[in-house]
Amino acid sequence: MSQKRHLGVKRRDFVKSIGALAAASTLGFPYVSRAAGKVIRVGVPTILSGRVAQVGMSSLNAINMEVKKFNDAGGLGGRLIEIISRDSKGKPDEAANNVKHLINSEGCEIIIDAEASSGSFAVQEVVRETGVLCLHTVSETSSLTADPKIRVPSAFRVARQGIHDAVVSASYAATIAKKNKLRRWMSCSPDYAYGRDNTSLFLDYLKRFYPDMELVGETWPKLFQADYTENITKILQVKPDAMYSALWGGDLVSFVDQSSIYALFSQTKLFATNLADYTTMSAIKNLPDGIHSSNRYLKAYPATQENHDWADTYRAAHKDWPTNWAWENKLAVEFLVAALTKANSTDATKMSEVIRGLTVKSPFGHNGTVTMRGEDQTIINYAIGWGATLRKEPFMKDVFPGDWKMILELEAEWKEKSGYV
Amino acid sequence: MDFEALFSCVTSTSCIITQTTGGLISGMLLFLVAAGLSLIFGTLKVTNFMHGSLYMLGAYFAYTIFNLSESYTLAVIGAAVGVGVFALVFERLFMSRVYGSDVLLQLLVCYAFILILDDAVKLIWGSEFLAMGMPEAFRKPPFFIAGGVIPVFYMFLIVVTLIIAGVIALLITKTRFGKIVRAAAINPTMTSSLGINTALVFGSVFALGGLLAGLAGALAVPVRSLVAGMGFSIVIESFIVTVIGGMGSIAGALVGALLIGLVRSFGAIGFPLFTEGLMFVLMVVILVLRPSGLFGKDQ
Amino acid sequence: MKTASFKSDFLVAAIALVILLALPSIVGGKAFPDFVIRMSAYAVFATSLNLLIGYGGMVSFGHGLFFGLGAYSFALMLQKLGVSVPVALMGTVGISALIALIVGAICIRLKEIYFAFLTLAFQMLFHSSIIAWTDVTGGDQGLTGGIPRPPFLGIRLDDPVHLYVFCAVMLVGSLLIMRHLLQTPFGFSLRMIRDNPNRCGFLGIRVWRVKLLAFVVAGIFGSIGGLIMSLYISSAYPDFAYWTMSGEAIFMILLGGMTVFLGPLVGAVTLLLLTDVISSTPALKEYNMLVLGLIILVFALGLRKGILGSVYEWWADRRRPDSTANPEAHASGSHH
Repeated sequence: MSQKRHLGVKRRDFVKSIGALAAASTLGFPYVSRAAGKVIRVGVPTILSGRVAQVGMSSLNAINMEVKKFNDAGGLGGRLIEIISRDSKGKPDEAANNVKHLINSEGCEIIIDAEASSGSFAVQEVVRETGVLCLHTVSETSSLTADPKIRVPSAFRVARQGIHDAVVSASYAATIAKKNKLRRWMSCSPDYAYGRDNTSLFLDYLKRFYPDMELVGETWPKLFQADYTENITKILQVKPDAMYSALWGGDLVSFVDQSSIYALFSQTKLFATNLADYTTMSAIKNLPDGIHSSNRYLKAYPATQENHDWADTYRAAHKDWPTNWAWENKLAVEFLVAALTKANSTDATKMSEVIRGLTVKSPFGHNGTVTMRGEDQTIINYAIGWGATLRKEPFMKDVFPGDWKMILELEAEWKEKSGYV
Repeated sequence: MDFEALFSCVTSTSCIITQTTGGLISGMLLFLVAAGLSLIFGTLKVTNFMHGSLYMLGAYFAYTIFNLSESYTLAVIGAAVGVGVFALVFERLFMSRVYGSDVLLQLLVCYAFILILDDAVKLIWGSEFLAMGMPEAFRKPPFFIAGGVIPVFYMFLIVVTLIIAGVIALLITKTRFGKIVRAAAINPTMTSSLGINTALVFGSVFALGGLLAGLAGALAVPVRSLVAGMGFSIVIESFIVTVIGGMGSIAGALVGALLIGLVRSFGAIGFPLFTEGLMFVLMVVILVLRPSGLFGKDQ
Repeated sequence: MKTASFKSDFLVAAIALVILLALPSIVGGKAFPDFVIRMSAYAVFATSLNLLIGYGGMVSFGHGLFFGLGAYSFALMLQKLGVSVPVALMGTVGISALIALIVGAICIRLKEIYFAFLTLAFQMLFHSSIIAWTDVTGGDQGLTGGIPRPPFLGIRLDDPVHLYVFCAVMLVGSLLIMRHLLQTPFGFSLRMIRDNPNRCGFLGIRVWRVKLLAFVVAGIFGSIGGLIMSLYISSAYPDFAYWTMSGEAIFMILLGGMTVFLGPLVGAVTLLLLTDVISSTPALKEYNMLVLGLIILVFALGLRKGILGSVYEWWADRRRPDSTANPEAHASGSHH
């Protein structure tokens, strides 16, 4: 070892490095802010790479379709919308940083947040600091808008909400369970915030609607787990009559495929809330009969011409079926356009005032309209339906529509119990 | 933690059988990936961090070949060979340039390829997850043995993996190729001065490792959905396996993979929320007590 | 001689700090301070890892543990215990020093790749624990509800200007202290151990003590990187302690050059600039990983000494045209 290496012992390089740092700083061209101008810039923090790139892809597809309509119609007195998206790769800290960048350096006045749950909480904090208008379009975690400590005056949720889904899921499951004497229940949901919240709410309400039910076991695979053998064998041990799962996307596909070869569903009825979405249903090649699911997105429900037409237009434009995220983002742009037009301004406070309590006509409404509830800034009266799945279009038969009167009553009670009011 | 459930499981035959076979099955695919990783490390002293991406490529190749030809046999063979060739090209064009240099440069080249391949897969096959479905031949009801359940496809998986494990063991211990590989692993300079083309040896070992990863991907594809980034989690697990078994040891990889499979399968019952953590605890314990792993030669 | 060197380092640091504090008013806008704060977090973190890798020859794959630890302990102390900022700061330093001491004592016995894997295992164990311990850490959701920042000594960290000054001081201060530590006998022993551990043993240097001290120092400053990050995004996430975080720091080190003290800083600036440019360019952002991967590949195969390392080498060669007697020019790319 006669070689000597001078690793940073020279003072000169320290001085030089400062020069390099200064040079790099002047290169900081992405950090020079763009002023708000004629164009209305809308920032979309989302996920475009990795395992859930589908979230961002289908969200942007729907947003761009809707924005094009607005721009083609002349925009807001000639001011057109420009969409600027940024990929967080699913990391919440990147999501927070991206929103700051979109606002401070890209000059975005409005944010459509198509981040998954944990990212949306990070976005919420930036919105709180900056006060821009924000529409969350993917996060279903109830506390984002229900908890007054987390709620922000200029942030709205245009997406399903966990508590709404739980009430409908449990009332449907209770009906089926009573009819078929499915007493012993188990759960198999992904071990992260969404999976845990969704599942515990479902089980609470199931117990309430069907007091005879008994929870005989739980198993918690990791998010994006590849191999579900350990969970499936645990379920086989317990042999429940029915099971609930909040798995979604590719994870649900793997779980159903792996369970099928164990013939699991011949002894246990599966209630998988996230199954009935085109991309999930069509990915499962040997879908067993009689799995129950909620409508994530199906063109057959709500069974209206508008819904049908939108799905076909989307399919023609993007060579792909819409996802649950696609309809939520389309709806968000509709709320945004209504707010821009009515407020005739891009001011966050003015637009927020318009959006609070606003009802828009929508193909995804329970009765043709969806309302942004003013008190907690989240949508209600959107279509939630449950049913047994089919292998082909319409993919679900005898859809059981959610009862919004019941949902709202139980939600109010839940909020009180959780200390949110 | 649920010790009660764990206790009631280990006192029931049907539970032991189902959980044990479940553990074996999880371990088998893990073994194929880890064996390739271990082989490459043992011979080339290279930690191939992009091994998970090779597994992903194998799955996608198999998916495409199956959709074109409707033959699962062809899909498995095609995917394995395809990934083997890809690994060879990768080794010759990129990896061979960083042999002998800092382990960090190897890490960097691999990291670059993890990123590139994930986006390349998205570019070619789309961002949506895909699933191939079970080939016709395996759509049969599972076997029931002493209260335990074993699916037909998993029986096939276990048999195929054990055969492959045997073939690799024979290849390394009995053939001329195996002798050269072992010699090159111990002293590459000496081996090449004996007139043996070490570049060829290194290239073929890398190709063989890639072939095993591709094979694992192809064998997993009937039961696992495909998505860009799917190699991400498997690579960490296979590193745990190789570390536990001993870097460079095929037998170690097999034992390590089965051990991890069993830990996961019984851990799911006893520690449902900390199954992942358990594997790392095991890894720490092994590294502290026996850094070279259960079957590795001493440091 | 030692004090003279410290004095000039201190002077350079003071000038750098003044420039850093003046820059926002020159550049204008809110985006630039955001960039500097985030960069500070990564730069301190990467530089602390380079104490181990570049100076100690100890390749750790698990340094993200300390980034996560710093972010979580600082944020939790403010959020759950309601202590003041200086107390949370000292507490974070204390906790990371303690954890680094324990983890380091176990890890430094191992060599090379085994050391790397053991650090990786500890990091992943920590990551699993954050996710499993939902009651305290919020699990995968991260800490919600923001971090309170009670004013101290007239400093209000919820004010963007105060936050900027605080982070700039943390950056320059941390670098200065690490720089100074490398000029002490400890720093020289560390480099000697890297180059020839056996000989150091013969010379009576307690190798394990020096290595352990390096591990603890690196752990402390790694956690300060995490602390700055938690202030920037007002939260902490399990991703901070994931292996990709260590991977990013390693890339920053190699990008800037591990043979030069400020290499990791230059690497952090460059990588953040690069990713920002890529994700702001419509043509590239949909396939940003592909683009970044290709850039990494070019660096790994082409510019092995990193940006600053190459600049430094070119500079040294130019100043000494008769560099035939200069073996180190070719040596530093080949640690074993």
